[in-house]
Amino acid sequence: MEILSFEETKKLLVKYKLPFCRTEIFNSKEKALSFAQKLGFPVVLKVHAQKIFHKSEIGGVKTNIKDKEELGKAWEEISKNVEGKNIEGILVQEMLKGNEVAIGMKRDSQFGPVLMFGLGGIFIEIIKDVSFRIAPIDKKEAMEMIKETKGFKILEGARGRKKADLDKIAEIIVGLSNLSMKEENIKSIDFNPVMVDENRACIADFRIIV
Amino acid sequence: MKNIFNPKSIALIGASGEKNTVGFGLAKNILEGKNSRKVFFVNPFKKNVLGLDCFEKIKDIKEKIDLAIIAVPAKIVKNIVLECCEKKVGAIIIVSSGFKESGNEKEEEEIKSIVKKFKIPLIGPNCLGVLNPSVNLNASFAPLNPKKGNIAFLSQSGALLDSVLGKSEEENIGFSKIVSYGNEADLNLTDFIDYLKDDVETKVIAIYFEGLKDGRKFMEIAREVVKTKPIVAIKSGRSDKGKEAATTHTGTLAGDYEVYKAAMNQCGVISVDTLEELFDSSRALASQPRSENGIGIVTNGGGLGVLAVDYCAEAGIEMPALSKETISFLNKSKEMEKVLIKGNPLDLIGDALSDRYGIGIEAMLMQKDINGLIVISTPQIMTEHEKNAKIIVEIRKKYPDKPIVCCFLGGKLVSPAVKVLEENNIPNYPDVKKAVKSIKGLIKK
Repeated sequence: MEILSFEETKKLLVKYKLPFCRTEIFNSKEKALSFAQKLGFPVVLKVHAQKIFHKSEIGGVKTNIKDKEELGKAWEEISKNVEGKNIEGILVQEMLKGNEVAIGMKRDSQFGPVLMFGLGGIFIEIIKDVSFRIAPIDKKEAMEMIKETKGFKILEGARGRKKADLDKIAEIIVGLSNLSMKEENIKSIDFNPVMVDENRACIADFRIIV
Repeated sequence: MKNIFNPKSIALIGASGEKNTVGFGLAKNILEGKNSRKVFFVNPFKKNVLGLDCFEKIKDIKEKIDLAIIAVPAKIVKNIVLECCEKKVGAIIIVSSGFKESGNEKEEEEIKSIVKKFKIPLIGPNCLGVLNPSVNLNASFAPLNPKKGNIAFLSQSGALLDSVLGKSEEENIGFSKIVSYGNEADLNLTDFIDYLKDDVETKVIAIYFEGLKDGRKFMEIAREVVKTKPIVAIKSGRSDKGKEAATTHTGTLAGDYEVYKAAMNQCGVISVDTLEELFDSSRALASQPRSENGIGIVTNGGGLGVLAVDYCAEAGIEMPALSKETISFLNKSKEMEKVLIKGNPLDLIGDALSDRYGIGIEAMLMQKDINGLIVISTPQIMTEHEKNAKIIVEIRKKYPDKPIVCCFLGGKLVSPAVKVLEENNIPNYPDVKKAVKSIKGLIKK
């Protein structure tokens, strides 16, 4: 069991029209910096490795990096934290604001690919407010899946929050459904978080296990 | 399947006259159908079992055998299966245990390849057998004969089936077909569901299972079957086994049971949590039409009415407000003068006699968006339970598309009324929550 390489991951996401935050992988701080400047600050740095399944727990993720100095510091820290580990590189990613949702897939021994949707953060970690479907599903069913969760009202803009584009979330779920039906070598997928605002949904973190 | 559910001849291999043995239980049960079919017993060590001469081998029987039932020690089952196949029996049930369930996969695989080669359908091994009350067939070692009815029950567990049969007698539940399907070496749960789709005696399919052989195939077939017949299911084994994928979020969150629930929901199978619910729901589905959401409640007790409202809210059942027309219909009746609040639930007040019930029920059913009804009757000193029951039976005929379930609560005081309801295929539940859950199962998704 290992995490799919960044290049392979990117290919898959593109193939199934799964939108993801602008991201590149680097092995040199200088190149990382020039990409970050191109994206515009703030950015996120995170390690990508075949065998690191919980990257934030080992200090492999730094968010809200605001300038060149912070980037340099973050790069050093991550490098130190993962020292001795076999890594593919460090990702530099644009940092988006919005609601966080989680979308995933696992293969069940009896039912095949199972899709999951939930709101990010405490909703998924603590309340386990999630819904499931057996793939394949269409957009209508994906929409129902979103509306089944208790946290759904937050996406609809409860208490003055900004509304999230549910349609775009449903499209990602359907894309994941298509992917899971065709790419049988993939054991499980976690898109967590997927950032959603009024106009778009964008996968910020992806972990594809083969 | 005809050889299984309505055989013209049965051979029991391993028949025994010794009480407290499986061979005896089977022999006794099968003999009860001896007027409906030919029965043969095979046992080389016995001359006669229960008055019937035994054959030494199945091949010694000259007549054609539709169904062979094998209840012999596991180690000789394979040879007996082979003999049955060579005899060209129509179908085989292996009751004997001691196969896959106890680690003996090899023997089971060998048996499987024998029946496949001869193209003879097999049920089991490790099962209780098959029952079809409508043709007086009890090819099982169940301790009693269930009533004829329109619920088909498929159970992976045999012992559980026994308990269910015991309970069904108490609750007056009848069955169209009963199958304890055991290890599914050949015929599996999905095959039986597929068969029951076109079985005219079966109105609802109730299932108890622990695991599925092929979940996707099950969903595919179930999706088709539920278009014409409801399926209610209970699954045991809810603990999370998904350890392999536990390094991912989705893996830890999607326990087996959550996945199962999602799958059932997707293919239109009603999943329940207790055996009691399985049969409460099956009874409603077997006797009532299915409807859209929107339920009315008529009661003579405010408390139970409020409880029902709570349960409805929890279950996602909508309770439409009474329309102007309904209220004016009620206002016209002298019987309703004492009922000051006319709403849903409609509390007829404790002193309601049957006439008031009749008007209340009729008013509710007349309203277009009230698609089904729960009628509650508590035993006040003046309550006319039996008459209430008869009124419900009559009004139901006028509104055949709207389901009615009852909650006549009060033990012996209401039992004659409950009898009237049950005889007329209106389910009664001795608990408001049960009534609500059962009507919930009737609401189309």
